[in-house]
Order: sequence, then C-alpha cells, then structure tokens
Amino acid sequence: MDTELDEPRAALVRAHLAECAGCAKTCEDLAEIVDVCKSGDPAEIVPPNSKAMWCRINNILESEIKPEPLPKIEDTRRRIWRFTLPQIAAAMLTIALVSSLVTVAAIRNYLTPAADDFTSRSAESQTMLERLMAKVGLGDTPQKARERRLAQQTAAIEYWNRRVQERKQQWDARMREAFDKNINLIDESVTEYTQILQTDPDDEITGEMLDSALDDKMSLLREFAEL
Amino acid sequence: MHRLLRKVSGQPSRRKTTILLLMSVVFFMLPSGVLAQRKYSKNYPAGRIVRLELTNRSGTVTVEGWNRPEINITASLEAPSAIVQPQSLDDKIVINLIKDNAGRGDVGNVNFTIRVPYYTAVDIETRIGNLTVSNIRSTLVRAHISTEGDIVLTNIASVRVSGENLSGDIFFDGVLQTGGYYRFSSMQGNINIHIPVPSSFKLVATAPSTRAIDLGAFAGGEMRTVGDGRRIVGQSGDGLASMQVTNQKGTISFVRR
Repeated sequence: MDTELDEPRAALVRAHLAECAGCAKTCEDLAEIVDVCKSGDPAEIVPPNSKAMWCRINNILESEIKPEPLPKIEDTRRRIWRFTLPQIAAAMLTIALVSSLVTVAAIRNYLTPAADDFTSRSAESQTMLERLMAKVGLGDTPQKARERRLAQQTAAIEYWNRRVQERKQQWDARMREAFDKNINLIDESVTEYTQILQTDPDDEITGEMLDSALDDKMSLLREFAEL
Repeated sequence: MHRLLRKVSGQPSRRKTTILLLMSVVFFMLPSGVLAQRKYSKNYPAGRIVRLELTNRSGTVTVEGWNRPEINITASLEAPSAIVQPQSLDDKIVINLIKDNAGRGDVGNVNFTIRVPYYTAVDIETRIGNLTVSNIRSTLVRAHISTEGDIVLTNIASVRVSGENLSGDIFFDGVLQTGGYYRFSSMQGNINIHIPVPSSFKLVATAPSTRAIDLGAFAGGEMRTVGDGRRIVGQSGDGLASMQVTNQKGTISFVRR
C-alpha cells in the first residue's frame, strides 16, 4: 500500500492476498483508511457523533476487561486481628486480672467453712468483691445468708424433734431428765442470741453463737432420736 | 448356877442368829444395781488396729494409752444390762452401744475402762457420763458428750484433739503438735487448758456470756480482745497449731503445764 516493499516481497504479498480472503479484506479496510487520511478533509475524518463512538469504545473495552476479583474474606479477618502492641498488652493485663479475681474468689469459697458463709458474719466483714457480688445478685448479704441458714436449721430441728417425740416415752427417767435439761439450756441461749440480733443485726459474734447453738440443738436431737 | 450355865451354853446360837440377821439386813440394804452388776472383759492383739471408736449410751468411759501391742476392754454393766458387742474390723475396734441396744428403752449404765497402744486414734462419745482419755500420742483424740458430763484429757500429744459437751467441765493437758487442730466447746461449765510455755498456736477463744477468758502466761503479745471482751483472737509463737475454744455460758482458762 505504501510501496515500501521490494518487488519480490510485494509479489509474495499479492499472491497471498489473492488466495486469503481474510487478509484481502483487512488490506481493503486499511487501504480505505489510508485513502481517507490522504484526502486531507478533517470534516470527513471527525465522526458525526463522537460521544456515541466513545461510548461504544468504552463499552467494548469494559466488556473485554475481566472484572477485578472481590477482596477475600480472609484478608478482612486478618485485618481484624491486627493489633498494636499496647492493645495486646492491655488485653493480656485484663485477662490476667480477671482470672486472678476468679481464682481468688474460688479459693475463698473452697477454703471458707460452710458455717462462715455469711451466716455468722456482719456486713462490715464483707470484702469489696462480696459486696459487689451481692449487689449484682450473685451473692448473699450476711442477713440473707443468716436467714437462709436459720430456715434450714429450723427445718432440720423440726424433723429431728418429731423423731425424738416418737421415741421419748421409751427412755428411762434419767435419760429424759438429761435431755430436757440440756435442750432447755440450748433454747435459753438461742432466745438470748436472737434478742441481741434483733437489736444489733450486725453483731458478728452473736450471729456465730446463734448458729453454733442451733447446730448443738440439731446434734442433740439427732443423737437422741437414735435411742 | 443352872441359869448361868444355860446362858453360857445358849450364847453361840444367839450369836449366830444375830450375825445372820445383820447379814440379811446388809444384803437388803445394798443398792440393787450393785448386786445386778455384770462384768465384761476382752483382749485383742493390736496387730494392725490403729483406731478405737466407742459410742456409749450412759456411763463413764476411761481410755488409757499403754506401751503394749494389745487392747484390753473391761466394762461393768448395771442392770438392766446392755448388750456389748465389740467389732474388730480391719484397722479398728468399734463398740456401738446405741446400735447394739436399739429399741431398748431402759438400759443401765455401762462403765468402760479400755487400754490401747498409745499410738491409737481414739474417738469416743456418750449421751450421758464422764469421758477420760490419757497418755495418747496419735492422729486423733475426740471426746464428745451429747448432754452432761466432764471431759478429762491428760498427757495428750495428738494432732487433732476435740472435746465437746453441753454441761460439764473440760480439762486438756498436753502438748500441741505442729499443724495440729484443737477444738474445745461447751455450753456451760469450765474449760481449762494446760499446755507448755512456750507453745506455738493460733487462738480463737470465745466466752460471750461471762467474758471470762484467762490466758495466763499466754496473755499479751499478739493476743487481742474483740467484741467487747467476748472473744480473744491471736497468736502465740509462730502459730503453728490452731486452737478454737468456745464456752457459751462458762469460763476459759489457760494454765502453764
């Protein structure tokens, strides 16, 4: 087309174009483009609707470009677990603190005898943790614990007392006398401690003594119920 | 003269009659319990036995430690006689008069005297009566009276010692062991503790009604009074043993051994 090839090569190209329809068509198209360019009239070169043409070009390009792969979820997760050193340190400190508190609370619960589970303790002797637990409803206040324990002891005493009354007539006089004397002794103490606690519910020692006296009564009844 | 001769010849028969009459009077004057008393005695080779468990209904119990590998049980049974059936189990001797006499309303006192090797753990209780334990050096001495009676523990060097009654005195004489736990509790009576000075122990002593707690040679130092003098809490020496003494209506005294 541009007469740039030497004769033998040009002859070979012409021979191929004569045989190959695809290449011949391409050659014709190119020849037309070259002819138009050579005509020199810019008005003929500018397409009638350039915007529409660019739209078409864009559409073609977009259809040919492969869509970008979506960002993987794993990457997002990795980003979530990316912490700074102070954040990690703070988290570790929090875990250590919480686990220490839980351990201390567990050890206290394990080591403290059942009789001391606030039943005979005043509000003053409560630790901060115990007060906090009581406030959020996870623990008992000393008064509630004492009431709960008292109810349990009273129920047990009633049960054993019924058993004793069933058997008491079979005992000899000396046994009956000793039993009555000592049960009265305990009852006197229980009455005395109950009165003190009514005026001073936070009296730790009296709470403890009341608990002990009721335990003594329960033991006495149980032991005599076996006779 | 004849009258005199008759008098002399009649004297031996009169004397006999008088003696017989006196004997019959003495016989009927004796308490019926003494006449009806029965004796019980049994020996066991100690072997592997390291524990004595005794539950009595009423009567006294005396346990003595000795340096012989055998256990000697003697008992005097008052009428109506109780059934006494000691059981020699694998490593202990168990005597339970409550179980052995279950359903029998009227059972007489049984007074035991038991000798055991000094290293035997002693766990004794009774509903009524005195308990005495002496010369024991073992893991446990427990003496429990359900109602009234005195507890006397003498020359004890055990790791866990417990004395409990409702009415009656408690006396402890012994040496506290490192890591040992000692508990004495009474509703009404006097509790006396005889231990050497110095002794190493932590103490919680409570006498809410009388406030009568006399620490003797252990007073001062790290002992402090709480609850308006109703309780003394503290430590003697390094506090290597723990002692809890409670007397609801009686006194507590510590005396140098």
